[in-house]
Amino acid sequence: MVRAFEKRQPMPESFDSLAADLARFQAENVPGYSRLCAARGVDPRFISRASEAPAVPTDAFKVARVFAFDERAAAVTFRTSGTTLGARGVHSMRDPETYDAAALAFARAMLGIGAGPRAPVLVLGPPQDEAPDSSLAHMCALLSRELGAPETLDAYFVRDGRLNVAALRSRVRSLSPDRPTLVLATSFALVHLLDEIGGEALALPRGSRVMQTGGFKGRSREVSAPELRASIALTFSVPQRAIVSEYGMTELSSQFWEATLVDERARPGIYAEPPWARVVVVDPETLAPVPDGAAGVARIEDLANVDSAFAIVTQDQVRRASAGFELLGRLPGAPPRGCSIALDEILSGSESAP
Amino acid sequence: MNRSNGERVSSVRRLLAAAGRVYERRAKLVAAIAESTGLSAEGVELGFSYLERGASDAELAALVSGVSEASHVHVILSANVFVAALRALTLAVAAAPRVTVRPSVRDPWLTRALVDELAEPAVEIVDERDPAALDADSLHVYGRDSTIAAVRSAARPGAAVLGHGAGLGVVILTGAADIDGSAERIAVDVVAFDQRGCLSPRLVLVEGDVARAMRVAESLHRELSGWGLRVPRGRLEPGERAQARQWTDTVSFAGRAWEGADHVVGLGPAGEAPTLPPPGRHVHVADVATLEHAAALLAPISRFVVAVGTDDSAAVRGVAPPHARLSLLGRMQRPPLDGPVDRRSATDRKI
Repeated sequence: MVRAFEKRQPMPESFDSLAADLARFQAENVPGYSRLCAARGVDPRFISRASEAPAVPTDAFKVARVFAFDERAAAVTFRTSGTTLGARGVHSMRDPETYDAAALAFARAMLGIGAGPRAPVLVLGPPQDEAPDSSLAHMCALLSRELGAPETLDAYFVRDGRLNVAALRSRVRSLSPDRPTLVLATSFALVHLLDEIGGEALALPRGSRVMQTGGFKGRSREVSAPELRASIALTFSVPQRAIVSEYGMTELSSQFWEATLVDERARPGIYAEPPWARVVVVDPETLAPVPDGAAGVARIEDLANVDSAFAIVTQDQVRRASAGFELLGRLPGAPPRGCSIALDEILSGSESAP
Repeated sequence: MNRSNGERVSSVRRLLAAAGRVYERRAKLVAAIAESTGLSAEGVELGFSYLERGASDAELAALVSGVSEASHVHVILSANVFVAALRALTLAVAAAPRVTVRPSVRDPWLTRALVDELAEPAVEIVDERDPAALDADSLHVYGRDSTIAAVRSAARPGAAVLGHGAGLGVVILTGAADIDGSAERIAVDVVAFDQRGCLSPRLVLVEGDVARAMRVAESLHRELSGWGLRVPRGRLEPGERAQARQWTDTVSFAGRAWEGADHVVGLGPAGEAPTLPPPGRHVHVADVATLEHAAALLAPISRFVVAVGTDDSAAVRGVAPPHARLSLLGRMQRPPLDGPVDRRSATDRKI
């Protein structure tokens, strides 16, 4: 599918057909998935459409092995940053080739990168050697390696958790004005940058693009998406439509991107899906699809998750929009009706004494 | 602040007597409390059985000596099980000759009934929302940490703010425990208040292997099924139902889940960290090789653990969080009236 997408050819197989095959494979090889199917009253042998396959909750990645192979065969292991009772989510892969091919193909498409000369790449995030189990660091390294000009490899400006503004300023000033640049940045690094430089401009060459990703997770102040986009645009002297957000998660092998760089009708805040992954908005209690336009949680069907769970259900609230979906934030916890502690209060890691 | 301990105990005893009279007329309150708490009518009736109507001299002596005296305590109640209003008021009247109280907006009924029945001018309802407008020299705040922090930041200078936050209960079963008898008593602790109290057990750690933990889970499932017929679970809010779905599917994937009409019991993978279930009669059972293993699994959340239930207090005392109330099974929701149910604040300061 990825190759067909790159060559703009018709998909070789239907989404449902591949999904059904994957569901059966995973039920046979991932013991937890077999148990989940049984608990939900689903016989994997009779799954014929993606929607019939139970989705694995993202919390399962924190407490159980979600992979279809011997743990010793894992070539890559990504871990979530959040913890539940001390456990981090784990997503292992025998071979990252599918992950890399899918990530690269859709990134190229959404960044509008064709066959021209490679662009300088600046990464406002940690290098892979500092975050070897971060899927985000892996993706940034992949994009930098595959899309970046050779002389800009290893252009990481977050080291030991600190953004090196002086080095970034120097690098930006040394960029040739006729070479559009690609900036790959975490949201909190961008906020740190804005806080440090105040109103100073770090103008990028004309035609440059910025990808931002990730939440704030307490590592910087929180800034609304429109405000952050406007501030970045001013700082880097790029149009707001040249700033695109990427939405991904450790438990997935595919990512979703805003399409404002490549589709003039696309709106900021609406994420496009690659042909091999889709977001279905479901009711958080019944897990049944909601009517178009209604909010629910994201059930994500990712055909690149071959060796783990092709369907997962998240706690991210979403809503369908034309040509994609809108991200509405985390599903809020239930209001307390007693002094029994809520899950979100434990997960918030509040250190204040009661 | 010149009352003798005897006077302070007397004020608590008058309040307990008022609670006894409220208890006798509880039928008038059941429907309103069921509506506000979400408990079933049977659940409210069961909850009333946990309302303290008496206490020993030793318990009250401990309660009075454990509170810091003030001239005026204002009690702010938000998220609590409904009978907790009584203990909050006993601590306040033990501390100060003048007590004002702001009932929970969602669930004011028992607080109002207690204050009306006590009928003492020095104890009254004050619905003031702004902590800065209160002239009390001590604020006792019950609710989530965020609520306590908000009151603390808004209180007028000089006012002491004493917080009682949210928490959870845990059961630790030793290798010698009788499985069916223990499950019967754990179910009693789970069903009360639909597990919405900070004393309610949500995790059951079973010393032994996974087969033994499974027998506990199966037995607990049977017990909770029986309770569901006698005392149906009340309504769950949409957010609670969503959390329950997520947790049930997670534990089904990781281990096994027994779903009843009004409860779910989950069994985690052998020896692994448990998944914390949401309130609403959801219990996670996990095996632990030793009691020290139980302590290690609890370490990441030990500061939230308010109560530990067990079949053998002597064996478990050394591994339970030091601030947690330690009770025998079936008694987790009935701590003696010797101070706040949540002792975490008392480890740093008297309340």
